[in-house]
Amino acid sequence: MPRDKSFWVPGIPSSSKRSHQEVTFLTKRELLEPLARLRTDQVVITTMGIVRPWARFSNHPLDFASADSAMGHAADFALGLALAQPQRRVICLNGDGSMLMTLGTLVTIVNAGARNLILFVVQNDSYEITGNQPIPGARSVDFSGLAKSAGFRRAETFDDRQEYERTLPEILHHPGPVFVTVKVEPGDEEPLSRRPEESALYLRCSLAESARGLRRALGER
Amino acid sequence: MAQARLILDELKKLGVTHVLTVPDNSSKALLNLLWADGGIQVVLVTREGEAFAIAAGLWTGGKVPVVLIQNTGLLETGDALRGTAMRMRVPLLCLITYRGYAKLAVRGLKVTPETVDAELLSKAGLDSVAVLTEPTLKAWGVPYDFLHADADVLRIAEAFRKAQNLEQPVAVLITRDTT
Ligand SMILES: Cc1ncc(C[n+]2csc(CCOP(=O)(O)OP(=O)(O)O)c2C)c(N)n1
Ligand SMILES: [Mg+2]
Repeated sequence: MPRDKSFWVPGIPSSSKRSHQEVTFLTKRELLEPLARLRTDQVVITTMGIVRPWARFSNHPLDFASADSAMGHAADFALGLALAQPQRRVICLNGDGSMLMTLGTLVTIVNAGARNLILFVVQNDSYEITGNQPIPGARSVDFSGLAKSAGFRRAETFDDRQEYERTLPEILHHPGPVFVTVKVEPGDEEPLSRRPEESALYLRCSLAESARGLRRALGER
Repeated sequence: MAQARLILDELKKLGVTHVLTVPDNSSKALLNLLWADGGIQVVLVTREGEAFAIAAGLWTGGKVPVVLIQNTGLLETGDALRGTAMRMRVPLLCLITYRGYAKLAVRGLKVTPETVDAELLSKAGLDSVAVLTEPTLKAWGVPYDFLHADADVLRIAEAFRKAQNLEQPVAVLITRDTT
């Protein structure tokens, strides 16, 4: 169902608001719940506003949060994992602002031949965890178009829950690198931190400990 | 001058699996040899920050990556080096070619963070990236040593072991073109 989200896009002067434009999108639950259901032994790398929501659907030894790390470096970290573990699929749930920061990584991924990498961009058109400021190109940038031009074997965009759910199983098995843009409604995730009181289990230890945990889990499999 | 063949032999002895790089003139001979040899996978990156994140992923996945970049790339990588390889404590050998080293050495300049200023950074006869290389490594907490000539190739294995022991990136600065 189309939902008008013109109300939430901040930073856009009201005069340029296209009030008739209706945009459709998924909720974070609609994005994550089917993915968590279909996920088996893939590594899942999350970052930014998806880190805590993912932990509400998943607690898996191969979950890893690129949090308290460096912005823009979840997808290339995932690429390193994919190159190290060619027999295993690696799924990365990247932010749109983060993706814009390192667009060259799209080319690096294709050039490195990472057939086992599935890169999602969660397009909420904003820097959610810093207060929902609009990203450059909010509502106009076509991430899947960029990925296609970079040479991804498959790149598509979803703004409809049913279509996404229908296509997801096939996407997870398609030879990669595969790119998926999902238009997602903006939320109000707080900035990330790593501390023992965190609700998300994988945020309770330091980044270094977390990396060692994943390394161990991969070594045991 | 350091022979690329000697460097490659060291890397192979250490079990290096991947070299992540943006090429430069000084690493040209080494890269050509790496490609010709084919025993170590070369991964070209679009900017050096990626190299540290990919290296962190490779190490987490059980491989033995090495980063090969120019000192300009070290300056490019700031937040990525901090937030990935350093913050994750990845044992990582970094081979960094030292552009502008000769001009710095000729003047006998020992640069510290306190002596860096706009005047020094804009001097025509100096390469400002050379001025900032060692202060940057110090600021980031990355230990480093030098590879000036063939006799120094053992510094590579030393730096590699130091990286393993300290569980962090350690650099070797290559001050002349590889041949
Ligand atoms: C190099 C750098 N610049 C700026 C920031 C501040 N910052 C932290 S999170 C964030 C927004 C992330 O946006 P996005 O990737 O779209 O994720 P979302 O919050 O929308 O889930 C920004 C700009 C940072 N951490 N690092
Ligand atoms: Mg965003």
